[in-house]
Amino acid sequence: MNCILNTGRSVSQGVYVEHKGSEEYRSVASACLLNTVDMLVLGIEDGARVRISSPVGQVVLTARSSDGVARGEIFMTIGPYANHIISSETHGTGMPDFKNQKVNVEATDEPVLSVGELMEEIGGMRYDR
Amino acid sequence: MIVNDVVCPFCGCLCDDLELEVEGNRILRVQNGCSLSEATFMNDARLPAPIRRTTSGWEEIPYEEAVKETADILRDADRPLLYGWSSTHGETQSVGVHIAERIGAVIDNTSTVCHGPSILAIQEVGHPGCTLGQVKNRADVIIYWGCNPIEAHPRHMSRYTTFATGFFVPDAQRERTIIVVDTRRNDSGGIADEFVQIEPGGDYAVLSALRAIVRGKESIIPQKVAGIAKEQLIRIAGICTNAKFGAIFFGLGLTMSRGKYKNVRNAIELTDELNRHTKFVISPMRGHGNVYGSNEVFTWMTGYPFAVDFARGIAFYNPGETTAVDILRRGECDAALIVASDPGANFPRAAAEHLAKIPTVLVDPHVNATTPLSRIQIPCTAAGIDAAGTAYRMDGVPIRLRKVIDRGYPDDAEILKKIYDRLNGELGP
Repeated sequence: MNCILNTGRSVSQGVYVEHKGSEEYRSVASACLLNTVDMLVLGIEDGARVRISSPVGQVVLTARSSDGVARGEIFMTIGPYANHIISSETHGTGMPDFKNQKVNVEATDEPVLSVGELMEEIGGMRYDR
Repeated sequence: MIVNDVVCPFCGCLCDDLELEVEGNRILRVQNGCSLSEATFMNDARLPAPIRRTTSGWEEIPYEEAVKETADILRDADRPLLYGWSSTHGETQSVGVHIAERIGAVIDNTSTVCHGPSILAIQEVGHPGCTLGQVKNRADVIIYWGCNPIEAHPRHMSRYTTFATGFFVPDAQRERTIIVVDTRRNDSGGIADEFVQIEPGGDYAVLSALRAIVRGKESIIPQKVAGIAKEQLIRIAGICTNAKFGAIFFGLGLTMSRGKYKNVRNAIELTDELNRHTKFVISPMRGHGNVYGSNEVFTWMTGYPFAVDFARGIAFYNPGETTAVDILRRGECDAALIVASDPGANFPRAAAEHLAKIPTVLVDPHVNATTPLSRIQIPCTAAGIDAAGTAYRMDGVPIRLRKVIDRGYPDDAEILKKIYDRLNGELGP
């Protein structure tokens, strides 16, 4: 299903923002809010996993239903999961399309990676201590 | 011990009425703060000592070694990038600008991925703004456009708008009209008198339609604009022109969506239009505690608010070229110093990926998503918790952050000063 990815802040993202290795942060940053009707179309329930793909990459997230999100839109909190699929093109402004990334959404059984694993995918080395 | 009038350093509100209970180097209780503030003070886990990445893992190293290696990295780089600065005080930001000038670096702050486009718009058409105190005491119409204060600035509504008792607005909840414009019905939209759900990317068109209606040209407006009925647009324009004092607060919904700085320009020009009928102001909802301060410090030292390139020996500014994401995306920089921020989490994949390819040094109290991408991390104080310094509130009012406890970490300004001194000695006059 083709959608537009919108990102923004949330209280729980802010509460755990300095604890990016925590399970709580993973849970909030890897949640993907979808319109309930779109979830029906995809044949998934709240808590199911979805793979979101864009021209620059893909990431597995946990689907959450939200009536506030319009059909054809998905919402995520800002952070490493959303940025894994956002293009770095800034159209000459310095600002990427954090609220306007075209993505594809599909159901999957793959696991949601930790922030450390995500960073290792782009050449980093996790620090777990 | 109870410490009064503590300033929360988390978001651009810089709430200065917190009461903290402190025992030795521990904070036991936070009063008056929001949940973000409580987490900032109560759940402040730090990296214990400087660390260096090796081929097999991470090793702890002494501060002196970390400082020396950072200076070596910066000295040897042809195109260094210094980035971050918004979660620390102005004193550190100032040393950062000195380092950038000394080594011919690009220095950019986090406004590049938040309200950088707002600054571009303000440079085009100006900023009809005011302090939050004016809004609190006078505004009877509040518009939150593309922002969600309940989640991102939890006390903005209770201190300055919806629920705040003002001198000329004594019964705030009855006397203030709240309008929320967003693509998503969020919690802030839930308590608005008028919620306007806009189609994604439709902000520019809706702002233009409102400008036309305020100008008396409503006959040219189609029945729907970006999903909003003409009747609602006419009603909103009426609320605005009938206001005694209106205030627009806008967020990343304008700066990050299609149109970017042109959206903000259009919102400022709507404000201009409304001032032909009544008093109206507009201001960005700044995110990080001292991101406004980074714009202030950069501007008074270099002439430019962000994305400053010293490669030519003088300050050069060209957003889209000298902005951090663009420099990383092009693979242009060969070393990076990141201070008080987390581009690993907040930059798009390709930009973050480049940080892992080059020697990156992170000066930040916390382990974050940039830690795995770095070669060295140097922990330091957190401004407003164990370090005092100046920060700028979202309306441009400077507020002194207080040092509440001492946890034995060096101030980031002190660490950067040592790096600067080393570079200065090595590079000669």
